[in-house]
Amino acid sequence: MKKRKNGLHPAIWDMQSSLRKGNMNRRDFMRFATLLGASAATATIMSACGGDTAAPSGSEGASSTGSEATESGATGSIKRGGSWTSAMELQAIDHPARLSWTQGANIVRQVSEYLTETGADNITRPYLLERWEANDDVTEWTLYLKKGINFNNGQELQADDVMFTIGEWLNEDVGSSMLGLLSYLDGMQSVEKVDDYTIKFHLSAGNIGVPEHLFHYPGIILPRDFGGDFIKQPVGTGPFTLEEYAEGERARFKRREDYWRNGADGKSLPYLDELTYISIDRDASVAAIQGGQVDSLFQPRPSDWQALKDVPGLTVRPVSTAQCYVTRMRVDLEPWTDVRVRNALKMCHDREKILQLAYFGEGDLSIDAHVAPVHPAYCEQPIPKYDPEGAKALLAEAGYPDGLTVTLVTKNDEAEPAIAQALKEMAAPAGFDLQLDITEPGGYWERWADVDLGVTAWSHRPLGTMVLALGYIADEEGVPVPWNETRWVDEEFSTKLREAEATLDVEARRKIFCELETIMQERGPIGNAFWKKMWNITRSNFEGVQSHPTSYDLMTEVWRNDL
Amino acid sequence: MVRFLIRSFASTVVTMLLVSMVLFFLVDVGGGDVTVKILGIQATPEQRESLHKQLGLDQSTITRYATWLIGNDWWVPVEYPIISVTNAKTGENEYWADVNGQPTRWAMEDGELFAFQHQADDSTVKELAGDVWQKDGEQEIFWGLNNANSAVKWVRGSGVSVFIRTAAGIREVKDGPTQYIPLSKGMLRGDLGRSMQTRRPVAVTLWPRVRNTAILAFAAFLLIMPLALFLGIIAGISEGRPIDRFISVTSLAATATPEFVSGIFLILVLGIWLKLVPPVAVFLTDDAIFQNPEMLILPLLTLTLIEVGYIARMTRASMVEVMGTAYIRTAVIKGMPFSRVVIRHAIRNALMAPITVIMLHVNWLVGGLVVVEAIFGYPGLGNYIYDAAIFGDFSAVLAAAMITVIIAVVTRLLGDLAYTFLNPRIRYS
Repeated sequence: MKKRKNGLHPAIWDMQSSLRKGNMNRRDFMRFATLLGASAATATIMSACGGDTAAPSGSEGASSTGSEATESGATGSIKRGGSWTSAMELQAIDHPARLSWTQGANIVRQVSEYLTETGADNITRPYLLERWEANDDVTEWTLYLKKGINFNNGQELQADDVMFTIGEWLNEDVGSSMLGLLSYLDGMQSVEKVDDYTIKFHLSAGNIGVPEHLFHYPGIILPRDFGGDFIKQPVGTGPFTLEEYAEGERARFKRREDYWRNGADGKSLPYLDELTYISIDRDASVAAIQGGQVDSLFQPRPSDWQALKDVPGLTVRPVSTAQCYVTRMRVDLEPWTDVRVRNALKMCHDREKILQLAYFGEGDLSIDAHVAPVHPAYCEQPIPKYDPEGAKALLAEAGYPDGLTVTLVTKNDEAEPAIAQALKEMAAPAGFDLQLDITEPGGYWERWADVDLGVTAWSHRPLGTMVLALGYIADEEGVPVPWNETRWVDEEFSTKLREAEATLDVEARRKIFCELETIMQERGPIGNAFWKKMWNITRSNFEGVQSHPTSYDLMTEVWRNDL
Repeated sequence: MVRFLIRSFASTVVTMLLVSMVLFFLVDVGGGDVTVKILGIQATPEQRESLHKQLGLDQSTITRYATWLIGNDWWVPVEYPIISVTNAKTGENEYWADVNGQPTRWAMEDGELFAFQHQADDSTVKELAGDVWQKDGEQEIFWGLNNANSAVKWVRGSGVSVFIRTAAGIREVKDGPTQYIPLSKGMLRGDLGRSMQTRRPVAVTLWPRVRNTAILAFAAFLLIMPLALFLGIIAGISEGRPIDRFISVTSLAATATPEFVSGIFLILVLGIWLKLVPPVAVFLTDDAIFQNPEMLILPLLTLTLIEVGYIARMTRASMVEVMGTAYIRTAVIKGMPFSRVVIRHAIRNALMAPITVIMLHVNWLVGGLVVVEAIFGYPGLGNYIYDAAIFGDFSAVLAAAMITVIIAVVTRLLGDLAYTFLNPRIRYS
C-alpha cells in the first residue's frame, strides 16, 4: 500500500502521473481527483501541474459550457429578485426516496438537497458534505457533513438526519431505487454514525461510485422526523420553500431568507425570489416560451428544439448525455432466447439513419452496449455497420429461414415512434416482420419490463458502472434486479462489472470496460443506435443557467439580467 | 308546465343514474391496473395487491357502485356510529367512530390494538384499546376505523403478515388489517370521493376546472351564437346573392379547418409573430383567468372559427326553407315591409333547427373541448375527464361526467322552453 502524501488518496498521485503522460485527459483527472476527496481547487492546481500540453483536448465536449456560463455569471453585476417560470409535467409526489421521475425530483430539489452534486461538467463535488474520504481499496468511505446547515424548519442538519434518510433508502418497503444502487451496503449495519457530523460506509465490495450514487435523484436528504409525504412536510436544507403543489396544475416556490450558501455578492443565495412550474401540454409550452409566458421548459424534445433553436430571445444550451433508447429483447422469452436472433436484430440498426430520422442528427452514434462516450471509462469501439444480409443469414442459422413476425412495443413520447418506424423498415430486408404497438407513455411504463421486445428510454447516469448495475445484473439470489428489463444475466459480465466497480485507475478500468462492451455487443440483450443530446432552452434574460445532462433544474445561482 | 318540469326532473335523475352505472362499469372493466399508476413501475406485486385491497377494489363492483352513490358510513360492519369531523389544519374531512361520545380511531402496533381519541384541538390521545375483540368462529376480530378513513378488520394474533400503506411507504406489518372498506358519504350526499391520481378530494381539483370551463363556454356562447345566427339569417334572406355566397364559403372553410390547425395558426400569427395576445393560457395562480382575461382571446377565436360556420349554415338552410313557404310569400305580396316579414314571421320558425344544434353544442363546449384545451394549455373540464379516464381514476371521471350530464339535461330543458316560446303550437307534450 502506498503512503498518503498530504492526506490525499494515493490513487490521485497515480492519476496525476498518467495525466502527465497523456494517458488521461484533464476532465477525467478532475473527475477522479474530486471523486476521491481532493477539493476541486486542489484538483485544478494538480491538473495544471500535470501539464496542459499532454492533455488531449478534443473530448471536452459541450458539457462544459454550463459551468463556464456559471463562472462568467459570477463577475460582479449580479442582480437579485424576480421570478422564473417553467413548463413541466407535475405528477403526484409522496416520499422523495421513491421518486421515479426526474420531474418530481426537480420539484423536491428546490427545497431539499443532496450530499453531493454532479455538475453539468460531469464532475461530482461534495455538497452538503464538507468532504469525503475513501480507503485504498475503496471499501470504506467516510462522509464529513458541513456544519451549520439548517433545515427550513430551523433544525440543524446532523448525522442523525442522514442516518434516517439512508435507513429509508435501504428499507425495502419504501421501494426506493437507491436500494439497488447501494447494493454494496448490507443494510444499516454497514452504515456507521461516527459522530454528529461524520458517517462511515462499510462496503461489502469496493465501489468508486459512492459520491455519484449519493446524487441519484431519489437521494434527497430528509429531516429525521420525516413522516413520508413531502407535500405535507416540505422540509429540507434547500434554497426555496414550497408554497403550493397541485398535481397537474402548478407548483410555486419562494426564496428562503436563511439559506446556508452565499452568492458571489456575499449575501445568501438564491438570487431569484420565486419559482413556478406549470403543468401544461408540451405543444402549449413551446408556444408559451415563445410568447414569454414561461421562461423555460422541461426536457425539450427534438421537435421542440427544432422549433425553438433560432427563436430570438431564447438561449439554447446543448449537452451530450448518456441518455438513449435501447431496443431491448427479453432473453427469457422466445425468440430472443437465441443470441443469433438478438444479434440479427441488432445488425438491422442503421445508426446514422436512425439518428437522422428520430433525432435530427443531434446525438452521438452508439455501439450495442449501454456505455456512452461521456462515461469516463468508455472504451472506444467501431460503430457496427448496417448489415441486413448478415442478419438474414443469422436468422436462417437460428431456424428462421423465412423470417419471423415479432411485436415491437414502445411509447409515443419523444423519438420512440420514429425509431420504431425506422427499425421496421430496416429490419424488413433481413426477414423481420415488426408489428408496431405504440401506446401513450403511461401504457408503456405499465408493462415496460414485461414485453418481449420494446424500445425503452433510459436516462443519464454519470458512470458506466451505475447503469450496468441497475439494468444488467442479478441480485445475490440470482433474481434479475428490478430494472433488469431484459432478464439478461451473464456470469462473466457480472464478475467483470464488480471488478470495474472496484477499480480506481481509469486506464485499468477502461480495459475492463473494453471487455464489458465486447460481451454486451456479442451476446447482450440490447441494440442501441445513438446517445441523445439534450438542450436547456431558457429565455436569454437568465444568467447562470446550467444545461445538466439529466435535465436537473439547478436554480440556486440563476439570476435575471433584466431587472 | 309543472307536470312538464316534474317529468324533466325525473328523466334527469334517471339519465344520471344510467350514465353513472354505464361509466362505472366501463371504467371498472377498461381502466387497467390503477395501482401500477399510483405506486410507479418499481412496486412489487405484493405491494400492488396490498394497495388494491386498501383502495377497497377487492369489493364487488356493485358494492363499490352503491358506496359511490349512497355512501357506506351507515352500513359498514363497525359497531359504533361513524361521524365525520373536519380537520381544522388540513381542511379535510375525517371519519371517526363515536365511542360513547368520544371520536376514536384505532391502530395496531406490535400486536397490540391502540385507540386514538380525538381532542378538540385536532390532536389525539393514544391508549390501549382494552378488550374490544369479538369472537368470530375460531378467530377474534375487531372492526374499527384506521387513520386513512377506512373501516378495517383486524384479526387478533392471526400471525398473517400484511402490507399496509403508511405515509412513509409500504411496510410489512404483522397483525395488520385483513380487510379495508374506504368510507364515503356517497354522491347523493355531496361526497364526490377521493381522486386516486392526486389523492385529494375530487371536489378540490374539480371545481376550479368547472369554473374555468364555464367561463370559456359562457364567453364562447355569448360570442358565437348571436354572430352565427346573424350571419345565417343574412345569408338566408339573400339566397344566391354575393353576400350569401361569401358567408357560405367562408363559414364552410372555417368549419372544415380542424381546431388544432386553426388554433396553432392563430397562436403562431397573433401570439408569437405579432405578439398581440398571450399565445397560450398559463395559470400562474388559480385566479389567473380574472387577472389576465386576455388569455381567453385565442381559445375563443378558435372556437368561433369552428362553431360559427356550422351554426350559420344551419340557420341559413332553415331560413331559406322558411322564406320559400307560402305564408311568407303571401305576407310579402300583401305589402308588409320586408324587415317586418323577416323579423316577425320568418325568424321565429327558422330558429327551431338552430336552437336544437346550439343546445347540443353547449354540452360540447363544457365537456368536449379536449383538443382546444390541450392546444392552449387551458385547465378545463375536458382535459380533466380525459386524464382521469386514462388513469382509471373512477371517482374523478364519474364526478365530472355527472356535471356534464346535468348540463346536458338543463340545456335540453332550456331548448324545450325556447321551442314553446318560438312556436306556441308546441305544448309541453
